[in-house]
Amino acid sequence: MFRRTIAIFAFVALLVAPAFAADVDGEEILKKLDRNLAPASFESYRKLINIEPDGSTREYLLYTVKKGNDKIAALFLSPPSEKGRATLRLGDNMWLYIPDVGKPIRITSLQSVIGGVFNNADIMSLDYHVEYSVSQIEDRGSEYLLDLKAKTGAVAYDRLKMTVDKKLLVPLEIQCIAASGMLIKTLHFKEMKKFEDGITRPAVIETDSPLYRGYKSIMVYAVIKSRTFADEVFTLPFLPRLETLR
Amino acid sequence: MTHAPAHFLMLLCLFPMAAFGQESGGESQQQPGTEYQIDLAQIEKETEKKPYSLGGFLEFQPAFSVLDEESAFYRLRFPRRNEEGILQQYNSGLRLEGSYQKGAAGFYVTGNGLLKKDYLGWKGNVDLYQGYLSLRVSPNLTLDVGKKVIKWGKGYAWNPVAFVDRPKNPEDPLEALEGFYVLSADFVKSFQGPLKTLAFSPVVLPVTGSVNHEFGESAHVNVGGKLSSLLWDTDLDFLFLAGSSRSTRYGIDLSRNIRSNFEVHGEWAWITDFQRSSPTGSAASAGKSTAHSMLAGARYLTASELTVIAEYYHNGTGFFPDDMDVFYQNVRTPEASSPAGSQLSSFQQTLSGTNFMRDYLYVRASQKEPFGILYLTPEVTSIVGRGDGSFTLIPGITYSPRTNLQLRLRGAFLIGGRGTEYGEKQNDFRMELRMRYFY
Repeated sequence: MFRRTIAIFAFVALLVAPAFAADVDGEEILKKLDRNLAPASFESYRKLINIEPDGSTREYLLYTVKKGNDKIAALFLSPPSEKGRATLRLGDNMWLYIPDVGKPIRITSLQSVIGGVFNNADIMSLDYHVEYSVSQIEDRGSEYLLDLKAKTGAVAYDRLKMTVDKKLLVPLEIQCIAASGMLIKTLHFKEMKKFEDGITRPAVIETDSPLYRGYKSIMVYAVIKSRTFADEVFTLPFLPRLETLR
Repeated sequence: MTHAPAHFLMLLCLFPMAAFGQESGGESQQQPGTEYQIDLAQIEKETEKKPYSLGGFLEFQPAFSVLDEESAFYRLRFPRRNEEGILQQYNSGLRLEGSYQKGAAGFYVTGNGLLKKDYLGWKGNVDLYQGYLSLRVSPNLTLDVGKKVIKWGKGYAWNPVAFVDRPKNPEDPLEALEGFYVLSADFVKSFQGPLKTLAFSPVVLPVTGSVNHEFGESAHVNVGGKLSSLLWDTDLDFLFLAGSSRSTRYGIDLSRNIRSNFEVHGEWAWITDFQRSSPTGSAASAGKSTAHSMLAGARYLTASELTVIAEYYHNGTGFFPDDMDVFYQNVRTPEASSPAGSQLSSFQQTLSGTNFMRDYLYVRASQKEPFGILYLTPEVTSIVGRGDGSFTLIPGITYSPRTNLQLRLRGAFLIGGRGTEYGEKQNDFRMELRMRYFY
């Protein structure tokens, strides 16, 4: 009887051990990947480029400041039609400031700030390990394949399938999948670049989506710089004054 | 405020300087099928900050209105009954926004020029919307002095607690408004725990014969303030205005995301010593009393990106239907039709604002980029007067065919019988096209 019990325990332990190991390793990989992409608190300049089927493009220049795990604010610097538009995210709370309106408006976190292929999830995302947990990890030689599950329903993409460069621990490709299982978009990470503070990461993220056939969007990181901010920078009264941080 | 086409033309002359004095940016064209070339060095150059900025938009807005020649407001607007059928208007506008920043100080200015052509001929307007100096003493403290727009409240179409704002147009609530000359500050403090932010924003607003005289009784200094917080993921504000230009008033507003796609908000205002008047301008009650106004609303986003905003507004200072019945009867008297009649100016002054009655419902539904057509947003808005059942229905479509160019086409149907708010408006229908080019 005793031997039989031991055998059952051993069998169950064998079954669950890889899962536990994978879970721990996966979370660790995700945290390291986040730090390889950007410091915990930073300022950045990004250009968002929408390329339309006829070849015409629309470009947006975005200044972003982030602090810790739950505070991020972004300001559109161009084009003139979007200039001054700013967003603030504190955890799951999100606000939009439009200069003509003159006050921040609380928006739903799934709402789009500008038209086009980009949405809030692309512009105002927090660290991956804050919004997602690793449900599965697969070793593919020079790459890992991480299956990520959103921790809350406030995240735009319920699941991410992330291909990670095992040596550099940066993403190579991310498939964004809705709760229904539908593929919403695929992000392709390209062009490794050295930024300040020892950050070496892909500077270009290309996006294609089956929902917008023929359209392509590109996010280009021009500057990523470690910087600490007072907590008060991430408040509603400060949102119209983000420009003064530059 | 000035009223001169010459001033508008001066503002117009600044447009090419602003439009061509900086990089246009935002748009380019490449051959279909070719790989997009990224110039990282060029993008890095674009991130360099200049101490000054100049921008704004140029606008052209033709509109026509189908007049209701039997309505009360037609009689007030056209006492000689000289306009029949369709009224045409051609508005051209220029918005100029500039700033200069040096260290912790900045100067911000917004000017608005409007040139109108209608049955009365040409008319020009140049207004300073904002012009103020801002000093960021620290991230916790900012001081502003000058002409500035102060926006209070959480409502989309109406804001009962907007004690120091000019009233916005609920049919176009996102449009910029003119500010008042104020001295204001923002003290902000962040915390860990359920109370994440606490801020106090005092405002001092003087009223004299030449400064802020539209605000209320002159020769007084008014003081207001907003204590705002983010508490348990809820925006919660307490507001007040004291002084002798307007009666003392207190307010509370809040806003919260119930779910990631569902937001609720509300406002409540207590207006003390309110003197109720009739629409003809005479006092309707002997004494003063406290009036309460409130707003409750929600914003909902569906999976297909249809945004629905719904609000209920109770205007405690508004007129009752019985008051308006008397008013509409008076408008149809021969005395009211006389342009020189003292009653006429009284009517127009009393009812110059929109939504002067007591209870309204507002619904707006907008669909982002239907059928995969990017930068296209069809929408429909309706405002229903609960007191008389009249309403307006405003379908519209906004499209941006290229960067910095925005087109908006919309119509407005005004529906209601005689003796109702929308039935007595001067138009039965209005159609307008707005073209804006941002620079």
